Amino acid sequence: MSERKTHDVLSMEWIKLELIRTAYATRGGLFAKMDPRVVLLWYLLLGGAPWFTHNITVLAILFGLGVISVIAARVGPLVLGLFVLSLVVEVINVFVVAWFVGGDVGTLLALSELSLKLGAVSLASMAAFVSLDPEKLSSALLALKAPVMLAFSVSYGFRILPILIDEFSIVMEGYQLRGAPAKAPGFLGWRSVSRWGKHAVLAFYPIFLNVATSVRTTVEALETRGLNHSVTHPEGRRLRLSHLQTGTLDWIVVAVTFVGIVFAFWVGAVAPIHR
Amino acid sequence: MTTTVRTGELRGNSFNGKDLSTPQKLMIFVLSMSLFGLSNILVEVIPEFTIGPVEIALAYFVFIPLVLAALFNPFWVALGAPLGEIIFTDLLLGDFSGIGEIEGFIQMFLAIYIAGSLIRNPLSKAQVAFGAIMIVVIDKFLSAIVDLSKVWFGLEDAEFVEGLPESMLLIEVIGFGVDILLSGIVFGVIPALWLVPKLYGRIEPLMGMQPRQPGKPIQGSTPGIGITVALVFVLGAASAVFAFLEAWGADFGAAEWEWLDTYGPAILLVPAAIFVVLLAGVFVFAGKQRKQP
Repeated sequence: MSERKTHDVLSMEWIKLELIRTAYATRGGLFAKMDPRVVLLWYLLLGGAPWFTHNITVLAILFGLGVISVIAARVGPLVLGLFVLSLVVEVINVFVVAWFVGGDVGTLLALSELSLKLGAVSLASMAAFVSLDPEKLSSALLALKAPVMLAFSVSYGFRILPILIDEFSIVMEGYQLRGAPAKAPGFLGWRSVSRWGKHAVLAFYPIFLNVATSVRTTVEALETRGLNHSVTHPEGRRLRLSHLQTGTLDWIVVAVTFVGIVFAFWVGAVAPIHR
Repeated sequence: MTTTVRTGELRGNSFNGKDLSTPQKLMIFVLSMSLFGLSNILVEVIPEFTIGPVEIALAYFVFIPLVLAALFNPFWVALGAPLGEIIFTDLLLGDFSGIGEIEGFIQMFLAIYIAGSLIRNPLSKAQVAFGAIMIVVIDKFLSAIVDLSKVWFGLEDAEFVEGLPESMLLIEVIGFGVDILLSGIVFGVIPALWLVPKLYGRIEPLMGMQPRQPGKPIQGSTPGIGITVALVFVLGAASAVFAFLEAWGADFGAAEWEWLDTYGPAILLVPAAIFVVLLAGVFVFAGKQRKQP
């Protein structure tokens, strides 16, 4: 932990590092040890359950399960921070809308139901996808017979993202440095905003060409190694996916989650809170 | 022309034929996914202003999928761009909302594919501008209809203030106007008119393809016109279904408990069954795709 003593918390560099860390899931944690196929199944369980109820008791318990799994998955501060921020904004929004409509506690409950539901789903997806590094996610998708394109693009996307952000910020900084700064910020700083927007668009021209080149290189390299053949041919698939194995831990986690969900619905039936 | 000198599987093998090779389709798909995903991360950074109930926010950088759809085969661009949005922003930042994502994916796919197919000549300014507006119109029109009908169905049961439907309509119309102005024109038409001619003839050789010739059919086959039309209709219907799945959670009324009582909990299996059927359809479709050379 010694390298993280600096307190440059909200710098661009930190965000980039956090994204890399998120994409590669090096924090460890419960779900990182599990079989990726089982993690996806687990996600379907916990991420799907909130959609089948409108009962606030059930949703609250599911939300609690989500919080526990996020702690178990050791989600990083950036992703967690963004989630908490959006949750706070959501709560403020709910209050404003309730006040705007002139509602009472009932309206508040009705509005908070959706936030709870979406929150529970996001918590589950955070726990699952933060723990799956791109390699694991794409082999899980392949094992579940998803189209090759999808499996490949997920793993490629996760890998290329930090590089893309890096490239873009370099080009963008170049434009910012070369251009003259806005003379006066103007009303609500519109001059700086429009300058930023203009540079963002301009910066995309070299980025288009760069990405086109790198995409071609990647795809050609993959073709040379026989990507399409190796994943469509049954023998190749078997070899490629042979490292996937489910263990006791996987099924314990799934069973515990399943029991938790059943428990939530049982409590919900005993003490329901509807809007 | 370097493409004629270096002939290989990926280098201009297909430029007298009409089809793209599978790796070239993959390239277009991945290119559109990466670029649109990157632009979505930027959009996340831009603050949003809210004046009363009207939100002034940039939805996305429309010019990115538009430029790609104008220069390359729009089918693969339309497939890649919304997936990039899901992978880069929603999945990675933990903002993944399950079923709701499918609705967004379908809307965006339809918008880009239709707008891209409308552009016959990438160097025609009018066509590119029209395409940019069409992406926003189709995408936002679909979601505005969905929003309005949610409120409308919610209103049947809930006791609401007089004039609320009218004000909701007004808010939707204003929001629609803001989106067309900001996403469609400022970050759509204007950058696209600058970028398309600049990239035309430059980016295609980098990917081993021929620049699109006005009036000639676009390079690369899409899976059969019949299947595509059918797919578009199914996807449109599915988009509505998924939207209403959300609406049952989102509306203010007490309607859903009544329908749950009248039909029993088994009714919940209907959306689940539709989902499974759609998923099976996608896999079958993907399997067929793969068999084609």
